[in-house]
Amino acid sequence: MDGKKGPLDLVREVMASGMCTGCGICVGLCPYIKTAGERVAFVHQCGLEEGNCYRSCPRTPTDWAELDRAVFDREREDCLLGNYREILFARAGAGDVAGKGQYGGVVTALAAFLLEEGEVAGAVLTGGPAGEMPRPVLARCRDEVLACAGSHYSASPSLAALNRAARQGVERLAVVGRPCQVLAVRKMQGLRNPTPNNLSAQKVKFLVGLFCFWSLDTGIYSFMRARAGDRRIVRADITPEAMALDTGSGVVNFPVEEVRPFVRPACRLCFDPTSEFADVAVGSTEYDPDWNTLIVRSAKGREIVDAAREGGIIETRPYPPERLPLLRKAVRNKKLRVLAAMENGEAGSYLELSDGYAHVLKQEGGSGR
Amino acid sequence: MSFISLLVDEPGRNVLMTGNEAVARGAVEAGIGYASSYPGSPSVEILANLGRLAQKFNHYAEWSVNEKVALEGAAAASFAGLRAICVMKPNGLNVALDSLASIAISGIKAGLVLVVGDDPAGYSSTNEEDSRPLEKAAHIPVLEPGTPQEAKEMTLFAFELSEQIKLPVALRCVTRICHASANVIVGPVEGGCREPFIGTDERFITNVALHRVQEAKLARVRHMADTMPFNRYTGPEDAKTVVITAGVGFMYAREALAELGLAAEVGILKLGLTWPLPEGMLLKYLKTAEKVIFIEEIEPFIEENVMHLAAQHLMEVYPLRFYGQKSGHVAGQYGPGIGEMDPETVTRALAAVCGKSYTPPVAGEFLKDAMPDIPSRERAFCAGCPHRASFWAVKSALALDGRSPVVLGDIGCYTLGLTRTGFNLLQTVHAMGSGVGMACGLGRLADYGFHQPVIALVGDSTFYHSALPALLNARYNKSSFLLIVLDNETTAMTGHQPHPGIGKNAMGEEGLKITIESVATGLGLPVTVHDPYDVEGATEAVFRSLQAEGPRVLVLRRACALVAAHQGKRPRVYVDQDLCIADNCGCNRFCNHVFACVANIWDAAKNKAVIDEVLCNRCGVCAGLCPVGAIKVEGGGRVD
Amino acid sequence: MTDVGVHNIIVTGVGGQGNVLASQVIATAAVESGFLVSVGETFGASQRGGSVMSHVRVSREEAYGPLIPRSRASVIIGFEPLETLRTLAVYGGSDTAVIMNRRPNYPLGVLLGDFTYPDVDRITEVIRANSRSLTVLEATELAVAAGLPVGTNMVMTGAFAGSGVLPIAAETYEAVLGGLFSGEMLASNLKAFRAGLGTVAAPGEARN
Repeated sequence: MDGKKGPLDLVREVMASGMCTGCGICVGLCPYIKTAGERVAFVHQCGLEEGNCYRSCPRTPTDWAELDRAVFDREREDCLLGNYREILFARAGAGDVAGKGQYGGVVTALAAFLLEEGEVAGAVLTGGPAGEMPRPVLARCRDEVLACAGSHYSASPSLAALNRAARQGVERLAVVGRPCQVLAVRKMQGLRNPTPNNLSAQKVKFLVGLFCFWSLDTGIYSFMRARAGDRRIVRADITPEAMALDTGSGVVNFPVEEVRPFVRPACRLCFDPTSEFADVAVGSTEYDPDWNTLIVRSAKGREIVDAAREGGIIETRPYPPERLPLLRKAVRNKKLRVLAAMENGEAGSYLELSDGYAHVLKQEGGSGR
Repeated sequence: MSFISLLVDEPGRNVLMTGNEAVARGAVEAGIGYASSYPGSPSVEILANLGRLAQKFNHYAEWSVNEKVALEGAAAASFAGLRAICVMKPNGLNVALDSLASIAISGIKAGLVLVVGDDPAGYSSTNEEDSRPLEKAAHIPVLEPGTPQEAKEMTLFAFELSEQIKLPVALRCVTRICHASANVIVGPVEGGCREPFIGTDERFITNVALHRVQEAKLARVRHMADTMPFNRYTGPEDAKTVVITAGVGFMYAREALAELGLAAEVGILKLGLTWPLPEGMLLKYLKTAEKVIFIEEIEPFIEENVMHLAAQHLMEVYPLRFYGQKSGHVAGQYGPGIGEMDPETVTRALAAVCGKSYTPPVAGEFLKDAMPDIPSRERAFCAGCPHRASFWAVKSALALDGRSPVVLGDIGCYTLGLTRTGFNLLQTVHAMGSGVGMACGLGRLADYGFHQPVIALVGDSTFYHSALPALLNARYNKSSFLLIVLDNETTAMTGHQPHPGIGKNAMGEEGLKITIESVATGLGLPVTVHDPYDVEGATEAVFRSLQAEGPRVLVLRRACALVAAHQGKRPRVYVDQDLCIADNCGCNRFCNHVFACVANIWDAAKNKAVIDEVLCNRCGVCAGLCPVGAIKVEGGGRVD
Repeated sequence: MTDVGVHNIIVTGVGGQGNVLASQVIATAAVESGFLVSVGETFGASQRGGSVMSHVRVSREEAYGPLIPRSRASVIIGFEPLETLRTLAVYGGSDTAVIMNRRPNYPLGVLLGDFTYPDVDRITEVIRANSRSLTVLEATELAVAAGLPVGTNMVMTGAFAGSGVLPIAAETYEAVLGGLFSGEMLASNLKAFRAGLGTVAAPGEARN
């Protein structure tokens, strides 16, 4: 993570090479990086040799073990799922939240809880109607959080809203993001010699990471519209088997294979499907659509989950032990695919893993480095 | 001076006037009934002044939307018996030439004077065009004044001549007449009752059968030319060396001869009528002279025509040698016929031809040792110019689009968008409205493998001047491109003249406001409007428009900063240097180095940004762009 | 003054500084005083921050052309240091008297970081060494103090008027201003003009 590299290198190594995940951490760090739709681009080269844009980008060289130490103060014991204290099933306590969420509504419930308790003054979320390109949102109250409920399947550079909020002086922020976005924020928080445009990192008080195995490029929206017969899409959902489009007057299903061509190439190189560096990580259960999988990772994550549970904001139940191998297998397959790509020279050098890590991964499941 | 001198009511009074003012005064003294023009430097002030004088002297003055319409209106007024004057620059003559050529065949009734203001060296133009060859091609006489006084006298004379021969007459001026000032004697103003009327038997028809009539008229003028007051010879009668010149070249030649001590041996034949040539008068001096030097700008127009004349009378004029652009003797820094005439060039040429030694002073000798690297001064958008904000928004949108959109430019202040002040965005610049025509072409090539999005950029005045036919063509021929109209609510480059979108006319009257949106909608084109001062919003608007298909219009509307600055005090804009992060990551001197508004200067002592409050027009855009909010608007809030 | 055939005066500065008004005021005052005057200038595109120059030629006997030949300027009135230097290099010489406003106006190339604006003291030094006399004014500050921040041109016109190069009384200039402006505008322009009046020593008194 060291060495003098800056915007020119970011363009060459990440943006022009197809590695950009569209996380948005670089957008608005300075006047030169902007976003439109899902595209992130330099509108002008600032001319500096070294830049925070390069240093916080999740696709520039990242020392995985050092991040574990920086975020959790210890090495990981589980090479697949990273640092965590507990895995649970969870769902929103309040009916209105649960009804709006994609599955259990846990993300919405926690974000609203943090705002209402005054833990944070704003939550960086991704919003927009189902079936349309999402956009970054800074929510300041419960209603604004609820308006963002529901999953989006394409990449929104929502961290642009984090940078904007930090510049506008919003003091304490929660961020809900994809694993690449969580990684970006943690890299920025870990920067030595923070410079004036590092405000964002200092203001993030809580990170909710999502499970994400891939995101789709924006061509999916015209595809969805066509499949839905041009009717407005009320809710979209993707399961391991199918994509389902609810138009309000019926549901259109089609095999998930049809969606695969839209997977963003950059996602094939992602090593972290479960947001390993977040305070908590939330995903589907792929089992019970009324519940979420909730991984409590950090001490702060523990504190907030406990408080939310006590307040009835969420309810939890034990994670079914028989589901764990399935989760681990999915994660392991993803990581192994990335390792293979790396060995083929496709992933650049962004992943800096300890020597033993790859070796352990290739063995059958289990814990250990 | 200026407007005041035009109102002077004492015939015989000596006042300071520019050439433009002198022409306007001449028109008023000639009793015009109609004046029309499209703004074009260096001749803008003629109509501007006639507009302000319209009520007092009871004539009509109009800023037409383009030069073709302007000339047609003036010609019609002439048909109705009103003396009419029409003013344009050579590029405008190019636009009006079709009409001029036919009007010169059909003939006119009351005097019709066409004033063309050429711009040698292109101080305010994209080219340096000599209008005389076109005036000759249109078969009309050409008068060239050498001083503002002569400009006024020639204007009066032109009306008389035009009425005598029933042909339009061109008054060809250059920057060094239009924008130069000198003593002018004010004359009496013709009163007079005008009763415009076109008799039912009268005809003004363009017909090839009238070509011979036209030639006969020119022959008459040729005959009259020998005794015209403006064609004058000064110097020894039997001079062996004669300078043939016109316009301001006469003044340079006179001063050069004095400088070289040649006034007693070299004669100057100054032509006032440069087409048709006063052949008799010319031949008289061609026969006695052995050396002839031509001083004129820009093209060797007189030079070539006199050489033709000499060729017809070869035996009589021999021995005779010609010196000028063709021989290479009369040449500026870049060669003959390039750039404007100046005293040095004339002095050097005369010295060479007459065998006098002359060492021209070399510019900047002492500078070479004392201060070798002084910065040049390129043109830039004024502080607060909305175009700077628009170009930054377009630049950002182009980068975000990623498909290498092509940007076609046009004529106006925003033409500076091809330089660094506009981030070097414009890829083409041609004639008024040609960016839109070119966009039509490119916008049809998708079927043939051309996939770059196309943007044409025009100003508001350019839109009304010549964008409409291209837009109609786009709709009819289904061409796909984005037209961005940079609407600063004035015709800025030429000095803030009104146009149809403003609701005011040349005579200061309130009138109809025909917005760009209404025109676009009328043509069936989707149109959106945005404020370029809202740079982020404008970037998004441009980006969104780029993603759409078909011919479409985006208007970026915000008043010219110079006009807005006159309309009341806005809150002060300043830098809080405690917040400024200067060279650091996150900025690296964005306001000063990149956005580069001329008021965003640098405090070298503190290495922080600072605003030059004398230059600043308080638009507040930089305050919205500073990444750390270090630029403040006094009283808080956005500038409206 | 009476033995000079023609006074060649150049007003130079950056587009937008009010060059044209200054030269017109001087020229009109000269015409009103019975002189033959010729002024050559360029406005239009030059306003957009480019270099601008007005050539004002004042004589008793003969009319002159609108352009001053190189190295023949008798006076250079410079609204800006760099432009004053540039003009002196081409049109001035050891016989030229210079009146200069000290305040720099940064060209775009300097803002963009391609050039450094030279030290103003150095510019002043070079001008002084290569002219007959040099008077440096903080004309913009005087204009601001007179309540007319854009009135640098009026201060400089006043400075020229007061220098006595042309035998024209200050009242004549002021009458010209009276014909151009009224009310508050006239008052502030007069104030700026008067602020410049006493700032230049008469020729013969100031030598380098």
